[in-house]
Amino acid sequence: MNEAVNSGWSTGSTSVDIVIGLMLVTAIIILCVSILMLKVIKFYIKESTNPTRFATPEEKARLKQEEEAALALIPKKPSIWSKLMQLKPLEEEKDLVMEHKFDGIAELNNPTPAWFMVLFYATIIFAIGYLLNYHVFGTGKLQDEEYVVELEQAEEAKLAFLANPVNAASAVNENNIELSKEDAVIKSGASLFANRCTPCHGDHAQGIVGPNLTDEYWLHGGTVKEVFKTIKYGVPEKGMIAWEKSLSAQQIADITNYVLSLQGSNPAGAKAPQGDKL
Amino acid sequence: MTEKFYYDNKIVRNFAIATIVWGIVGMTVGLLVAMQLFKPALNMGSQYTTFGRIRPLHTNAVIFAFVGNAIFMGVYYSLQRLLKARMFSDALSSIHFWGWQLIIVATAITLPLGLTTAHEYAEMEWPIDIAITLIWVVFGINMFGTIIKRREKHMYVAIWFYIATFVTVAVLHITNSIQLPISAFKSYYLYAGVQDALVQWWYGHNAVAFFLTTPYLGMMYYYLPKMAGRPVYSYKLSILHFWSLIFIYIWAGPHHLLYTSLPGWAQSLGVAFSIMLIAPSWGGMINGLLTLRGAWDKVREDPKLKFMVVGITAYGMATFEGPMLALKQINAIAHYTDWIVAHVHVGALGWNGFLTFGILYWLIPRIFNTNLYSKKLASFHFWIGTLGIIFYAVPLYFAGFTQGLMWKEFTAEGVLKYPNFLETVIQIIPMYMLRALGGALYLIGVIVMTYNLYKTMVLGKLVANEPAEAQALTADYVAQGAEKKWHRVLERKPMVFMVLSLVVILIGGMIEMMPTFTIKSNVPTISSVKPYTPLELHGRDVYIREGCVNCHSQMIRPFRSETERYGEYSKAGEFVYDHPFLWGSKRTGPDLQREGGKYGNAWHYNHLYDPQTMSPGSIMPPYEWLIDQTLDTTTTVAKINAMRTLGVPYPEGFEYEANARLDEQAKAIAADLKQNNIKVKSDKEIIAIIAYLQRLGTDIKAK
Repeated sequence: MNEAVNSGWSTGSTSVDIVIGLMLVTAIIILCVSILMLKVIKFYIKESTNPTRFATPEEKARLKQEEEAALALIPKKPSIWSKLMQLKPLEEEKDLVMEHKFDGIAELNNPTPAWFMVLFYATIIFAIGYLLNYHVFGTGKLQDEEYVVELEQAEEAKLAFLANPVNAASAVNENNIELSKEDAVIKSGASLFANRCTPCHGDHAQGIVGPNLTDEYWLHGGTVKEVFKTIKYGVPEKGMIAWEKSLSAQQIADITNYVLSLQGSNPAGAKAPQGDKL
Repeated sequence: MTEKFYYDNKIVRNFAIATIVWGIVGMTVGLLVAMQLFKPALNMGSQYTTFGRIRPLHTNAVIFAFVGNAIFMGVYYSLQRLLKARMFSDALSSIHFWGWQLIIVATAITLPLGLTTAHEYAEMEWPIDIAITLIWVVFGINMFGTIIKRREKHMYVAIWFYIATFVTVAVLHITNSIQLPISAFKSYYLYAGVQDALVQWWYGHNAVAFFLTTPYLGMMYYYLPKMAGRPVYSYKLSILHFWSLIFIYIWAGPHHLLYTSLPGWAQSLGVAFSIMLIAPSWGGMINGLLTLRGAWDKVREDPKLKFMVVGITAYGMATFEGPMLALKQINAIAHYTDWIVAHVHVGALGWNGFLTFGILYWLIPRIFNTNLYSKKLASFHFWIGTLGIIFYAVPLYFAGFTQGLMWKEFTAEGVLKYPNFLETVIQIIPMYMLRALGGALYLIGVIVMTYNLYKTMVLGKLVANEPAEAQALTADYVAQGAEKKWHRVLERKPMVFMVLSLVVILIGGMIEMMPTFTIKSNVPTISSVKPYTPLELHGRDVYIREGCVNCHSQMIRPFRSETERYGEYSKAGEFVYDHPFLWGSKRTGPDLQREGGKYGNAWHYNHLYDPQTMSPGSIMPPYEWLIDQTLDTTTTVAKINAMRTLGVPYPEGFEYEANARLDEQAKAIAADLKQNNIKVKSDKEIIAIIAYLQRLGTDIKAK
């Protein structure tokens, strides 16, 4: 459904994910088989050291009856659940009932379960530790410090990314951008434009709230460097948004090239020229 | 010497009917707002039915009308029987009932009209706040009167919870409602910014604690053993979890304000106490579930008990999730998303809803002296209700998780992966549809219940006055043996008990609030932050009226993802003139704290007129009426004066020149719009709201 969720759990490569999945399934199957094998071996050893006598159906039934009668004599063991919850057997309940009833409601005087008290004390210790960590020893980072660290890490990651020659295209800026007429660039620019720029400039860049981008008149300069700059930093006082935070440098370059490719396209309903002629 | 007396069942029936009626109303409005999230046109083009105005109607209707009436129903029935006494005064019971219904009606009228104070779950204007206080006191007198006139020496655990509820809600409501009125329907909170936020979330969190939790725990302690025919599991556990719950809960409010401008120490206290809250909350759950020990065979075939069991389980889940959400690492993803909405609805639909239904199915046949009309229909209600909760919660958890992560994701180039907020909204719209389906299933269940209970009522006849008899209390009581233990002694002294509860709940609130109010360093001032201009002040009030705060936050958290998206993170000193604070609690749209100067006036105009033109696919409804409606400037003087009383440094005599300044600023905006081919008169409300939006966050922007 969406990558944001998946990325936390998967390695990003489908084949590796499948291999990991298969290994997990295999491990579980091996575990099950081992348990089964262990049981078989146990049974085999038991039967070979102390073989069960062969019995007729009548004898079997009688043996079973005897066994059940013997079992009934042994006191019942409390279940794992009862042990975990430290519950007293229901038969002992009558000793725990308090003398008083409220509108017919009786109360038992069961002790608070030990696990519950452990949980309670553990959370108290955690809480004290939490406060000490952040406000006494100063070992934990408060939000403002966390923020500084987050920014530093991001900056380092970005530098490392740009240092890699493969990512050279992302290092484009208003000083080194060059005009491009490549199909791929124009196409990418067009699709980015369609999403973000049309509300103000119109679907053919004819201008609505924002100016017409297809004529030779420019408010903030019409060279490739100037257009790039206008898109990147915006002109907030005139309503042009700064896009540097939401578009990558490469995307801004693509839009710049697309916009400049529209020169002289004369769309219908074009807005009157604004600014200076190039 | 036995005395004969009668229990008052009529008042119980009245509250029961009110519970059902308001439940259906509140949930229907809830369904409508849920559907508006994927189909904004369902506001029907009217300002009175847009999301911003009716979302508070939904929350207040469900909390105070549905749950409120259910509490009074549950208390009035159980209190009489646990104390072996009729309610103190039939007249007070009646005033309480009708007063509460009038308050609800007044709220249901005023909130859609846009008369709101913007404090979440306390949006009602000051006259209604006063009425709530008076009626709450009536309830208190009636309850304590009954307790004092009791024929039962000791107070049962349910009553401890009722007492704690009464005192704490009174303290919360009064502290949170301190306002300065400027007219019959408009007031400003005394506190501003950070302090206002702390008060509101101390209130908001503890409304959950002492309106949605403690009275229901009290009810559980009466109705569950009654239904199951089993003794309460542990008296010791009751004592331990009651006192620790009310003491610790009151501290946890600041966990709603993690990563905001609230001082760090207050945030940490909120987290620490939230974690300590797990065991006390679960104490109630295990005492309830273990009470069913030896009665699980009954649960299998009795729909009432099924409702109770799922309700208690939902309580257990929500009270485990709450402390987890209070951890800042989790809160950083979950806060402002639908995760929180899912979380509260597990509590509301599961715990409050299902317990209410269980009690209704048990109580109505009893006071009508008959049997439930149809067990099958009750069973159907149980299953469709459970399915409804699942369909509601699961998609919303997924939506919240998804959106929270999308907001934070960056590309390798160091740019936000989803810079356009709308992209993250469009992604979760299918989840909104499923959630509305879940809500619809739940509502169908309630309607089936209503039919079933109506048939039951027709089948029987109300026993308005149910005869009972009990020994009168003697004055010469001498405690023997176990009755001498300290808690047993306390259970015989209701007034001491009340005062002790009051002290216990006051400690946390005082320790957290006093320093924030009195120590200056907690809200460092910023000299460039100036009061709003008269036009911006009016624009802010339009923003409040339209309930914009329900979808837009004004609090940029110190995360890279947020400062990249919105700009510099919020500082405490920026909000010193904000009466009330408008930080919001859920982002359906982007944060607006640094909106000022980001777009031109024309952009805002077009966006308010038809959001889809500027943001294709937006789920914000159009606000056309702002263009037609004329701004009411007759209140300017009163508003400036009120602000000055609250400490906003407007110069002497400023109120008299305020309207001239307002006019000047409005004309400048209108002129700017005209340049962009938008013709609008300068005295329209839209000019004021644009002025406000353009001011937001600009005071500390680097020039």
